[in-house]
Amino acid sequence: MGFSLDFLMQGFADALSWTNLFWAFVGCLVGTLIGVLPGIGPSAGIAILLPITTMIPPTSGIIMMAAIYYGAMYGGSTTAIVVNIPGEASSVPTAIDGYEMAKQGRAGPALGICAIASFVAGTIGIVGLTLFAPILSNVALAFGPPEYFALMFMSLSLIISLSGRALLKGLIAMSLGLLASLIGQNPLTGAARLTFGWVDLMAGLNFISIIVGLFAISEVMINVERSAALIYESRIKGWMPTWEDIKRSFGAMLRASGIGFFLGLLPGCSPAVTTFIAYDAEKRFSRHPETFGKGAIEGVAAPEAANNATSTSGFIPLFAFGLPTGPPLAVLLGGLMMYGLQPGPMLFQQNPKFVWAVIASMYIGNVILLFLNLPLVGWWARIALVPFPILGPLIALFCIIGAYGIRFLVFDVWVALIFGVIGYLMRKLSFPIAPMVLATVLAPMLETSLQQSLLLSQGSPVIFFNRPIAAVFMALAILSILRGAWVQFKTHAPEIALDDADE
Amino acid sequence: MMSQRKGDIYAGCFIALLGAVVVYAASQIRGDVEERLPPRTLPYAVGFMTLAGGLGLAVKSWRFRGPAPEIHWPGRDGFVRIAANFLLLALFVILIDVLGMPIATFLYISATIWYIDRKRTIGALVAGGVSALVVYYLFMKFLELPFPMGLLER
Repeated sequence: MGFSLDFLMQGFADALSWTNLFWAFVGCLVGTLIGVLPGIGPSAGIAILLPITTMIPPTSGIIMMAAIYYGAMYGGSTTAIVVNIPGEASSVPTAIDGYEMAKQGRAGPALGICAIASFVAGTIGIVGLTLFAPILSNVALAFGPPEYFALMFMSLSLIISLSGRALLKGLIAMSLGLLASLIGQNPLTGAARLTFGWVDLMAGLNFISIIVGLFAISEVMINVERSAALIYESRIKGWMPTWEDIKRSFGAMLRASGIGFFLGLLPGCSPAVTTFIAYDAEKRFSRHPETFGKGAIEGVAAPEAANNATSTSGFIPLFAFGLPTGPPLAVLLGGLMMYGLQPGPMLFQQNPKFVWAVIASMYIGNVILLFLNLPLVGWWARIALVPFPILGPLIALFCIIGAYGIRFLVFDVWVALIFGVIGYLMRKLSFPIAPMVLATVLAPMLETSLQQSLLLSQGSPVIFFNRPIAAVFMALAILSILRGAWVQFKTHAPEIALDDADE
Repeated sequence: MMSQRKGDIYAGCFIALLGAVVVYAASQIRGDVEERLPPRTLPYAVGFMTLAGGLGLAVKSWRFRGPAPEIHWPGRDGFVRIAANFLLLALFVILIDVLGMPIATFLYISATIWYIDRKRTIGALVAGGVSALVVYYLFMKFLELPFPMGLLER
């Protein structure tokens, strides 16, 4: 099944139903709020709300979750520009020129360009998603268990090798994620693994508790430590950029959208990575690179566009292969599985109504976000600066509600608290968190496909190398491991991961 | 203050120890060895990977001799703040089943806001009350999430 206008129109009809429209709006609103608030990111936000969405229909639930993700990408720049506090790591490059513009009294136009760049890039990303996802899902129909195992193996190795200079730490984080998911009963034989005789561990650790702990609770702990207390003083005057601003930044938006879109297809290329690449590329491309860092509007438009294009294009491997490229999409994958939907090629075959409704809702969500962000930007900026003494406990409360709401077991909340401490220590010691989250989510699929592959080959691992697609993925995985090992060998610097906290 | 190097050595040793424990625990897993993928294989593999990764990190950091960045651990005040907040959070979790979600929420939010900023006593109580009402009406009544009612049930 390729792209079909009929399916897309049917998707729009579904997405425009009052129920789905309402949940898309809620998702955009919550997403912008999550993006604006520095204490919480999209992965934690989606994870916290995931158990609560079981009360609403699956299509509405996933529409809302997706809207939270791309909504968070819109909102992340607000505090970066107004007070030089990026809501997400991906907004750090936006802060460079955005805050300079704010100091020059041009915070409004900077925020306006952010919203326009996000809209342009988001739309380009969704058009790409509409056209490419069905085609790739057709390719993925040829995949059997060995190809899936090789694909997931490749994604994990790519994510580790993209952990900045911290290859060993990335490997350790991935091992910890796999360890966490191995706890409990073997899915096929039922044998207890790593439970140490503890009955509560027999059912395993829920990945939502793990994500809530790693991202949200650890973030609260970091903020408590800093004793953060923000006071909002400046006012946003005139949010509309001039024609000159738009003319100057339009090319940057398009170029950065392309960079963000294509890099966003790769596992591990989170918006935190692509925004820096887009900013750097724009600086090199510019006729006036000296203005970058001093309030260049292209320096605001480029990272914002890359940010949104990356987050949208990440849906392509998710829908086509069932492969999340970063933590927020891994949580979304968990949400899909919670609803009994298995992303991958069969999603387009068996649930076309669902998948096209979600895609269509993204076009609508993009428009909703433009209206939510452009005229209301001053209001968002004020919300963002709720003092931490109030915000922190409320975020923690939502974490507890989210973790408790999974199975209504206090055990899950304790798991979230323990992983909160682990996440805090990982941040302090510069361990990347993304490989751990992705390993936790992918481990059950990885194990099942490995088991099935070995059954097919009667126990021989050669099956991963004598089937062409699997062999290509395995070769890429091995190349990425060798490249990482080479970088390790060449650099004698201490292991410091890129900041991937909740991207 | 602690250097990144020292922190990595400690972390590496701890992770290697964890890996060793996992390898031992994997050896205790009972399962059919006739299976194509016996139940202990993956735990073994991951345990060895953790062990090797931890040792690798410890050795690499130990051999590193250049200027390493500092880890910004919190000062005494910061540690006390984190510990107190964590304790309040743990107390909240314990009280959920005893007092019920709305009352536990009220106590937790009020106490934590008051602890972080003593000047906000009234604000803390109001925020606690509003949060409890949101938990009750939004989550328990509207979304029908079966959170424990505790004392309010009586």
